[in-house]
Amino acid sequence: MIRVKNIHFTYNDREVLRGIDFRMGNEIVALVGQNGSGKTTFAKHLNGLLKPTSGSVEVDGLDTREHTVAELSRLVGYVFQNPEHMFFEENVFREVAFGPKNLGLSEDEIEARVRWALKAVNLEGYEERTPYSLSGGEKQRLAIACVLAMKPRYIILDEPTTGLDARNSESVIETIGRLHSEGHGILLITHDMELVLRMAERVMLLKEGRKVFDGPVEEFFSLELGAYGLDRPELLEASERLGAGFVRSVGELMKKLGGEGVDGAVLP
Amino acid sequence: MVQFYRERDSLLHRLDPRVKIIGTTLGIAAIMLYNDPVVLIPLFFVFLLIGAFLGKISIREQMTLLKPLLPIVIITIAVWPLIYKPRLMGVLFGVSFSMRLLTFALLTFLLLATTSQADLILGFVKLGMPHEYGLTISISLRYIPTLYRLAGTIMDAQKSRGWEVEKGNFITRARKMTAVLIPLLVSSLKTAHELSIALESRSFGASPRRTFIREIRMTKGDYVALALTIGLFLLALYARYGLGLGHISIYPR
Ligand SMILES: Nc1ncnc2c1ncn2[C@@H]1O[C@H](COP(=O)(O)OP(=O)(O)OP(=O)(O)O)[C@@H](O)[C@H]1O
Ligand SMILES: [Mg+2]
Repeated sequence: MIRVKNIHFTYNDREVLRGIDFRMGNEIVALVGQNGSGKTTFAKHLNGLLKPTSGSVEVDGLDTREHTVAELSRLVGYVFQNPEHMFFEENVFREVAFGPKNLGLSEDEIEARVRWALKAVNLEGYEERTPYSLSGGEKQRLAIACVLAMKPRYIILDEPTTGLDARNSESVIETIGRLHSEGHGILLITHDMELVLRMAERVMLLKEGRKVFDGPVEEFFSLELGAYGLDRPELLEASERLGAGFVRSVGELMKKLGGEGVDGAVLP
Repeated sequence: MVQFYRERDSLLHRLDPRVKIIGTTLGIAAIMLYNDPVVLIPLFFVFLLIGAFLGKISIREQMTLLKPLLPIVIITIAVWPLIYKPRLMGVLFGVSFSMRLLTFALLTFLLLATTSQADLILGFVKLGMPHEYGLTISISLRYIPTLYRLAGTIMDAQKSRGWEVEKGNFITRARKMTAVLIPLLVSSLKTAHELSIALESRSFGASPRRTFIREIRMTKGDYVALALTIGLFLLALYARYGLGLGHISIYPR
């Protein structure tokens, strides 16, 4: 359990976080809000990269102020927005091994973790490739593998699908779904409302460093999102117009409509 | 993005960029003349006050920009007494080197804070520098803050993978820095490449002669300021070599 109690944070005189409370277990929570609302700043508190000016952050009982980022990296993995900011090894295998090496694990254990992490993100067979030579989606998945190899309980992803084409982002989304079903708690920072609708169980909305909403997705999408500079997904609009109410995917919408589409054609 | 330039209406802002570039250069030369903290410390405060009153850059702002140098200052002051005897003199030299460093940074910062990018290039070019160099210098200066932030992000990313610089001896630490230096290099090269495409696509370098949209002309006030700066520098030279002030011998004879 991650417990955040009334944290404030100030960057040279500017208060960027203004009293946020938050709890999270093994769920997928989407963190949304406009540019500059404090999402990244908040997330950096969860693995100790930033320490609150006041208030406290506890991860599975450990107070982040009393532990280094390296110690906390076993509990909370942070996948940065730009995967290239972490690559420096000559091949994928060594890149993924870097984290476990820092934990001081044995050679065998390191090798086992690398194989496991690469499998988890569908990058088996890429061991000898140069990280920089991969495609956008593969780089993002490699970045996730690098963090996964630390075996953290919680994983933070900062805009993991931004800038990826449909197929690449699909592969990343699939990976996230798989990690969640294996029991990881996931904090997903994103501007993509379609992604929120599809993946998140809960949503936290920040505005100017304050939490303005924290609750189930369904409730989130009943908010007047325009006021926060956010758009409602088209799928929801469509489904509501069809009288099907809240759905999270096209498949669900079809089921609600009784598997019958226009002209009574039966849809999968 | 963090930027050095602060758009304000002040005497220093209005001064011709050439005068400011010459002034900054002479100022840096002047602090290199002295090594006595009794001279260097007041000199630092004089420049701080010049920035605050003539440049309208508050002392607090100036301090914020100098803050990243604090670790170097502390190390300098701590190391000198260890390698130099008598120790008290060591402390003195540590202080004097730190003051030079701080004043150097302060002067550069004041130039950048009171001169826009366009004026800075123009100033360098009008002083006889080929405009490619003028542009290179000013773009590099502009990217320092960006680079600084990028380095911070990369370090954060590596720390999240259990990376710690603080651990180990000098050689292991140096090796650990590759985890930051390589991504930093790759990202900077990418930026540089994008920049060169952007410049080329706007026909930079297509014609040997170049038209400047803005022209600058020295006013009477600029000449007065220039004369004053040169006068002060000559005075500093005289104080040091004519009167023998402000210098302590480091190597005992
Ligand atoms: N290193 C820093 N130094 C100073 N101010 C910063 C720094 N990092 C962020 N800020 C400021 O803190 C505020 C919150 O930034 P943050 O990056 O947390 O927002 P965000 O919600 O992640 O935005 P985005 O959607 O653009 O990623 C912004 O106003 C930003 O300018
Ligand atoms: Mg962000």
